[in-house]
This record gives sequence, C-alpha cells and structure tokens, in this order.
Amino acid sequence: MLSKIEFKVNGRNTVFSGNPLTRLIDVLREDLGLTGVKEGCGEGECGACSVIKDGKLVTSCIIPVGAVNGSEIYTIEGIRDTEKGKCLVESFAEGGAVQCGFCIPGMVMAAYALLSENPHPTDEEIRKGISGNICRCTGYDLIVASIRLAADKGGDLWA
Amino acid sequence: MPVTGIDDRIVRTDAAAKARGEAKYACDLSFPDMLYAYMVRSSIPRGTIDSVKVPTLPDGYYFISAEDIPPEGKNELWMIQKDWRCFAEGDVRYVGETIGLLVGPDRNMLKYLLDHLEIKYTEGVPAVTIDDAIACKGGPIVGEDNIHCQLYVEKGKPMSEVFAEADSIFEETIETGFQEHVHLETNAAIVTEEDGHYVFYVSAQCPFYVRKSVAGLLGLNPEDIIVRQTTTGGAFGGKEHFPDVLCGPLLVAEHRIHKPIKLIFDREEDMLYSVKRHPSKVTYKTALDKDGNILGIEGLVYYNCGAYLSSSYVVLQRGVFHANGVYDFPNTYVKGIGVATNTFPSDAFRGFGAPQTLFAIETHLDHIARKFGFDPAEYKSRYFIKQGGETITNGHIVERVMLPEMMKQVVDASDYFRKAKEYGTGSGKGIGISFYNHGGAFTGNGEQAIIKAHARLVKTGGRVRIEVGSTEMGQGFQTALRKIAAATLGISIDQIDYDNPDTSKVCDSGPTAASRSTMIVGRLVQRCGEEMKERWDEGDFSVEKEYEHPEGHPWDQSTFRGDAYLGYGWGCAVVEVEADRLTNEIKVTGIWSSHDIGHAIDELIVHGQINGGIAQSIGYAAMEKMENRNGHFRQSSMSDYVIPTSMEFPEQKWFLVENPYQWGPFGAKGMGELVFNGADAAYIDAVERALGITVRRIPMPPEDIEEALADAQ
Amino acid sequence: MGMTYIPSALSEALQLRAGTGARPLAGGTDMMVQAKRGIGLAPEFPYPVMIISGLDELKGIKAREDGTVEIGALSTPAEIAASPLVPWHVRMAAAGMGAVALRNSATIGGNIGNASPKGDLPQPLILLEAEVILVSMHGEKKMLLDDFILGSKKTALRDDELIKSILIPPHSFTYSYYRKIGMRRANAISKLSLSAAAVVKDGEIVDFRAASGAAGPKVIRSHEAEAMIKGHRTEEIPDILDGFLAAWDGAISPHAMPVYRRNTTKRMLSFFLESIFNGSEPGIIGGEV
Repeated sequence: MLSKIEFKVNGRNTVFSGNPLTRLIDVLREDLGLTGVKEGCGEGECGACSVIKDGKLVTSCIIPVGAVNGSEIYTIEGIRDTEKGKCLVESFAEGGAVQCGFCIPGMVMAAYALLSENPHPTDEEIRKGISGNICRCTGYDLIVASIRLAADKGGDLWA
Repeated sequence: MPVTGIDDRIVRTDAAAKARGEAKYACDLSFPDMLYAYMVRSSIPRGTIDSVKVPTLPDGYYFISAEDIPPEGKNELWMIQKDWRCFAEGDVRYVGETIGLLVGPDRNMLKYLLDHLEIKYTEGVPAVTIDDAIACKGGPIVGEDNIHCQLYVEKGKPMSEVFAEADSIFEETIETGFQEHVHLETNAAIVTEEDGHYVFYVSAQCPFYVRKSVAGLLGLNPEDIIVRQTTTGGAFGGKEHFPDVLCGPLLVAEHRIHKPIKLIFDREEDMLYSVKRHPSKVTYKTALDKDGNILGIEGLVYYNCGAYLSSSYVVLQRGVFHANGVYDFPNTYVKGIGVATNTFPSDAFRGFGAPQTLFAIETHLDHIARKFGFDPAEYKSRYFIKQGGETITNGHIVERVMLPEMMKQVVDASDYFRKAKEYGTGSGKGIGISFYNHGGAFTGNGEQAIIKAHARLVKTGGRVRIEVGSTEMGQGFQTALRKIAAATLGISIDQIDYDNPDTSKVCDSGPTAASRSTMIVGRLVQRCGEEMKERWDEGDFSVEKEYEHPEGHPWDQSTFRGDAYLGYGWGCAVVEVEADRLTNEIKVTGIWSSHDIGHAIDELIVHGQINGGIAQSIGYAAMEKMENRNGHFRQSSMSDYVIPTSMEFPEQKWFLVENPYQWGPFGAKGMGELVFNGADAAYIDAVERALGITVRRIPMPPEDIEEALADAQ
Repeated sequence: MGMTYIPSALSEALQLRAGTGARPLAGGTDMMVQAKRGIGLAPEFPYPVMIISGLDELKGIKAREDGTVEIGALSTPAEIAASPLVPWHVRMAAAGMGAVALRNSATIGGNIGNASPKGDLPQPLILLEAEVILVSMHGEKKMLLDDFILGSKKTALRDDELIKSILIPPHSFTYSYYRKIGMRRANAISKLSLSAAAVVKDGEIVDFRAASGAAGPKVIRSHEAEAMIKGHRTEEIPDILDGFLAAWDGAISPHAMPVYRRNTTKRMLSFFLESIFNGSEPGIIGGEV
C-alpha cells in the first residue's frame, strides 16, 4: 500500500505525503504555486482547472492526489514556453480569444490536448474538444478561430 | 515604435499574460500570516434571530458580527441607499444574508466551526415572487405595501382617451426569470493593512464604490481606505455593488484582527448567495385600430428587487425607459414598480433592467403582428423611432437612427423574408427577429450631477500613464483606452501604461458600468490627450480633466422628463432555429446581428463582445433557469444552472454600421450591454414560429416548451 | 471521517475491502463532487475509502471467443467510446457523457456503482442484458446488471466485493436507437435517455427491447411491455403501438418534469416503431445524434 504519492509535475518529481483525498488542484495551486490552474466550479463542470495527466485532459479539481501516483502532470506553466504552448498563446492573443481570461489557461490546455491528438480539426471537432471548458465572455467563436489559427500556424508542430 | 491608429488591428494588452496563466486574480494572491474567512449566513428567508451559539474558538480564531462594529461606525453598506446591512442583526430577510464572519488560519478548523455554529430562528412567512410581494405575503417587508421604488412616464394623450378610441385592445403579461452571472472567477476579496491604511485587493468593477460603501462601518472617510482591483475574471454587473457585501464584513474583521484576511466564494456559494438579474413581470395593454395600427401602449412593469434596494431603483428606471423598445408610439404610459421579497437582493446585470422590458415589448409586438397577419419585421419597422423623434420620457433622439439600414443588413444576410414565408408556422423550422437599443451612460444628467468623472494622463519621458478608476473585467477596456490615448497623442500603444486601478493613485472616473467607460471615460482621456499632445515638449507633466455635459439635453430627475440618455446604441438580431419534434430540443442554426455603436474603437474586441453578449442572451431565453422555492435558490452548481457551451450555437455573422457619435472618443458609443439586449427575443420569436406556440415567459427549456405545446392545442 | 487507502494490487484491495469496508474511488467524478467541501479543502467521506485507480487488474476491454465483450471496471468513457469491440448503444452513451476531461476520468465501474438514476452507461447496458462480475476474496460471481442496481444510489454490492468488469453478451440487432437529452447540447447531465433495439426476421419482430434512463429511480425495462411487440409482424405495429406505449408509460416513474419525460419517451418509442413499420433501412434509426 502506498504511504506517499510520487508523481511528476511539469517534468519535476514531486512527493506528497498528506491526505490522499487532497484535490490535485490544491496541491498544484497551493503547494506548488501553479496558480495558472484556475478553480471555476470545483466539480469538474467548467474546465478552468484542466491539466494534462499522462497525455489526457482532466479536471484537477475532482482528482484526488492519491490517484496520480506515477503520473505525469502538465499544467499551463509546463507548456507555455514550449513551441506548441507558445503557438497557442500567440494564436489566442492574436485571434481575440481572451477576454476576462479566467477560463483561458484551461482552454489552452484543452486546445493543446486536442491538437496533439488531431492536428487538423474541423470547427466542429474544435467545438467538441473545448465543450467541457465553459467561457462566459466570448460566445466561443473567437476561441474556435484562434485554435484554428494555432493549427494552421503550428503546421508540423502538431503532426 | 509605430504610431497606433484608432482603426489598427492590435493584440489585446492583457491577452498573453492571461493565456500564459500569469495574470494574478484575487484567488491567486496570498500574504504572510494570511487568515481565511468564511461567511456565516442566514439559512432561512425571513425571521428573527433568537440566538447565535458560536462554538468555543481556539486561539487565533474569531467570530465577527455586527457587535464588532465600533461605536463610531454604522451597520450599513452605502450603495445608492444605505439600507443593506453589513451584518444581519435581530432579523434576517433572505437566505444567505450575512450574519457573521469566521476568521482564522486553518480552513479545516474554520469549516468545523462553521458546521458547529448554531443559529436559532423564529421563522416568518417569506414573500418570494412578485405576486407574493404584491399580496404582502407574511406582512410587508418594506413600508406598508412592499414597494421599494416606483415611477411612471407618460407621452401623448391620457391612455383612457386612447383606449376609448380603440377598435381593440390587446393585453398580455410577459415574465422573465432570475439570471445568474456565472463570471468564471467567483467573488473574492482580501483585506490587509499597509502603512496605517486598510487595503483591499478585490475582484471588482468599481473600486471607488467599495471604499465609499464600507468606510462608514468604522466611521472612516472613503479616502482612508485603499482599494486595489485585482485582475477580474468576468463581472457582467455581478461585481458592481456586490463586492461591498464581501468587503464590509472583512473591514470590520480587519479592524479587530489586523492581519491579512482572504474571503473567496466557492461556486456553490457564488450561485446561491450572490445577486441575480431582477425577475420581471410586464403587462402591456395596447390600443389598436381595426387594421392593427398601434394607437397607444400602457405598460405595468414589476421587478423583483429582493430584500434590499441596492441599485434597484436605477435598474427599474432603465427598465421603464426602455419599455417602448426602439419605437415611436404616439401615446404611452408606463408605470414601474420595484417590489420587496425575501430573496437575495437583485442587482446589476449586463443591460441593467433594459433586457426585461425590451424582451417584453418585442415579444408583445410579435404577438400583435401575428394576430393581424403581418410579418413582425415589417410591422415593427413601421414604428422605428427616428432622429428627433419623441422618446418615452418626452425627450428626443439626438443621433441619426440607422435601424432601417441595420435591418436590411441582417435581413439580406439571413434571407429572412424568404425563410419566414417558406417555414411558415409550426413547420419545425423558424426564423425570428428583434430590434433593441441601450441608452449609454448614466441616466439623464447623472454623469454631471452624480458622477463628475475625472481622468488623468501622466507623462514621464516618452511614456504616458493613464490614471483612471475604470476597470478591465474582460471587456477589453484597458486595451481600448490605451488605444484611444495612443491615437490621440500620436504615439504607440506600447508607450501607454494603464494598470489595474488603486484608489489612492488614480482619479475617480466613475463606476465601470452602464456602458459608460468608452463613451465617457474614453472621451475624457481623449481630451487629456489632446492637451498633452499640444504641450508634449514641456517635459514631464500631467493633465487632468473633469466631465463636461454637452449642452442642450434637458432632464428633470424628479419627473423623469427629458433626454434620458445622451445617445443610444442600436441593435438588430436574427436567429434561426430547428426544433426536434421528438424532444422539443431547439437547435440554433443561424445568428445574424447588426449594431450601431457609433464607431468601433477596436473591431476585434467588439466582435468578442457581440459574440459573448448574444450567447448570454440566448442562454437567458433558452436554458438558464434559476428557480427559487420558499426563498431558496434551487440551482447551486454549474451542472444544474447551465450556461452555453461551445457546442450550443453556430458561428455568428455580425455587422456594424458606421454612425460616429458626436461626444464619444473617435465617434464611439457604449456597447457592452447593448449586445445582450435583444437576441433573446429573436430566439423566442423563432421558437414560436417553428412550433406554432405562444411564449410569455423565459427561460424556455424543452420541458416548458412541452407545456406551451399543450396550451397551443 | 474514514481512513483513505491506496492499494497497489487487486488482492490487497480485496483484503482492505473485507477488513475495513473501504469504498472504492476511481475517477472521482461522482464521489469527489458529492463529498466536496470547497476551495483548499480535501473532500471528506463518513466511511473509509480506497483509491483504486491504479489497479491494472480492473483495466482493459476484451472480446471473448463467443462474442461477449468484457469491459474492465476502470475503463473510461473515452476508452469505451473509442473501442470497436464495444456495442453501438454503449459507445453512444459513453461518447455523450460530460465532455473530454470527464470522459478521460470517469469509469464504467463508478458509473454503475454510483447507481445514479441519471447515470449514462447503465441504460444501454441493461438494454443489452449486460452482467456485472463482482469479485471478493472468496472469488468471483456474476449477476445481471438489472438485478445489481436496486434503485437510486442502491446496488447489491456486498461490503467485501468490488466490481471487476462488465460482460456484454453478443447480439445482432436489425434496428437500433439511442438518444440522450441533456440540459444543453454538450457537457450535460442526462435529463432523459432512451435505447431501443429490434430484430426483424422475414417481417416478424423476433426481439424487441427498450430501456429508459433518468425516468425513474433506476433504468427501466419492461419485459411485459416488450412482450407486446415481440412475435408480431411489422405491419401490425400500428395496431399494437398504443397498447405498448401505454404499458411503457405505466412502467416509467419520472419524479421531476413528469409530463415532458413521459411524452418525449412516447414520441421517441413511436418514432422508432413507426420507422420499422415504414420499412426503414436496417441499421440505426434517427441517425447518430
């Protein structure tokens, strides 16, 4: 049985030995200072806390840290300076995707997961890929356009 | 650096930091020795507090209540009136009313204390709905008749004469529900002390409101308190006055504890215990001649204000002033009544009272048009108000009204007339249209009489700093205002600084509300810039300007007569839908809009505002259901109060018309609220046509459509 | 507040289960929400819990030789929706759960064990007469999922058992129908759902089934109502439709929105049966929505 939980966050080894039911989001934000991970709803409904766990998009507010032993986690802080991350951030800025910005780090993570699996998505596929990321400001059109822009600009980056 | 032109396509100045997760919202801040606070709230809608039994508090834990307000202070939050108490004392008037604050270092311990704190009440009978309030259920909450506020406006002949001349009278009542803001960032505030001052870090639209509202709790002057806006993750009106409700108790706690204290609502608290859009009930009684021409309209507008007045009187005024839509009817009489109920106080929400009456008048006119066999677009366009036309408040429309051109744009682009005819009624497909406007800035002479906004530009070397209290909450104002300053000064936007405001450092430029920021504050900054440009070679200096009211706009705030607004934004929307006949699910298949916002300061920002406002508006009509049973909101999460996802609506087609506004910067008018004000009615019009039903209330999720279908048969 | 354990093997999990009664927590998408306490606070359960998301013995989707598909309890909706081994009705339900992130976290075992009337997967599984394999230190046992789920949030899971996998027997339908109605077009909890299937041979309806989700405390199948269709010829559908719809309506018991749920269920069932009557091409009725 596990008494401590070992996992990687943005490539760095992390050991956690507290309550295994501690929400992953709290470990990321409060213990590791990764405040780009936002809490919008606390129940996996809004996507603001989206991170990538073992290559898959998940919402960190409903994952107990006890469930990530051996996992690799990436947050916005871990991808924003990669080529893919930079491409997404630039496209979101240029394309007018950002208003209040609270949903945006999670939205970037969703776009990252989407384009990594599907480098040339249709608009419909983009909308599906971000349908768990709620935005109250934009009505989504410019977010969709910005992800399309990132797919076009990134080219081989995503293939 | 290249000079920034007002029409250049630029990148928002805040976009990259937000997308990189670097922007700091209130929840992201922490301070050494910081404590946490939890609100202790009323669990009943109405009654007296018999006892509050606080469990034994460990060292370093505090329970803060009205008893902690010092003798020199008063237990009131100064919004527009001072009726909203900081802490309930003696009685409670709504579920969620603040009774106290539990403060301490460990959140687990605080949660334990919260769970073990016992409050005993003697429960009263709550009034929850507008009808409850009118009936004074449980006895009046305010005055003798439960009326928080009321007003009427009159134009033309007395309605009794008009009704006597009419061939027929068409009367109906249209209702709208609560709407929750669901800004993705929940409400949050931190209080601390720095250099002998109380300092707030708060997610808020109006930092100057906060300091004015809470200072009296400690008998202080507003200037004694510093408010620093943190990056604000959406507001939509929900952070106009409501941050006062967090900051008031925090200030009282700080007075006793002297350590940084953080109060963050989780989503459930933000859903259940925050302000909402006013539910409304609007009855129109319209006098018609035998051909269906409108002789006059009488309106009775009820808004559910909740337990305290907050900004409801101003909301109600705006509702009444928009109750005749974009039309010039020969005779109107509209009375507005804001009633008190035992629900969470209703407050500002994008549109500020206008959306309810605009939805009602648009829907009412659709019903009349249909009754007489006219196409709603054609019928409504007969009554479009024109430049110089008399408004509902006996004022006049100052600007050129471009509704006919706007209608042509969306009607052509959507192929409205062909589709309207082809789909007919009850075919499962429908196309709907609506027209709307929004009066810019504060009502009447409020900008001059109440706000007296100031703005300041400070030049240091080649850089210029904007010092205003206006806030960025997502709408793009920090970029728009920088752009205005840069284009005026003839320099690059990269040479302009504009930080989140700190009330100790910037001018009070008035609240970031009422679609006034670009129009009023933008113009002030432009005026500062014009002077600064002339004096550019004088070295380092600053220029400060005060608002000047344009001449020739009479307004009497006691009778509500005259030019209610200095200018309006105008809008037209077409929505097309397809109904699933098995499930009553409605799929939106097309959205077209045209808006007159004077001149767009930044088209990309405007594009985003239009998309977001329209999505919020259709959400309001289609799915956003917030019910209140016996004083308790039933929807408490983002899974039971649903707002649109990326899959809900198709890509929007949008147009602008160019109609430069004389007193706005580079011809710009307000637009943030306008874009919310009409797509709801176009959507419902489309749904009515698709299914052959009559809708008299929103929201209309599939289960309510089921009822309307049963009624239609 | 109970203890929390993280077993690293199934055998250890079963010992813990027998010894402490600790309840399994996998994706967390239901349990973490039910026990949430707000920002910065770990959820609390009034009973011991074990986090079983790391147990490889409970993972994977396999086809057996007889065509039975076995879905490990820790399989996610994303894995289920993407697996060509999984029958269409179940893939549709899995693909319609929540959104991307939820589909990567939730598990079929959790969706069944939680036994929410609004759960998405039990409905098509009960249509397909799926069985659940329960495992304890004493071995494995099988039971029909329809018998395993007793009611809203109630199952027949014993204190020493875990759900190991789900078995879906092979089938071949001539016509299939699946529909979920959520509160919005995506990322929504089910308001109502329906699966239906029919086998038609030479004009005779030899098998007919339906299952209603979110229309009562548990997924509803009415073998009595289904029997009213079975054995009839397709051209007789108009004569037997009303009787069948009335019988189905008698079986469902929606608590909220009763009129909407009843009428919509009737309309969907009518549509399915009328499509068969009208000689629709074999396959999926109503498209993949």
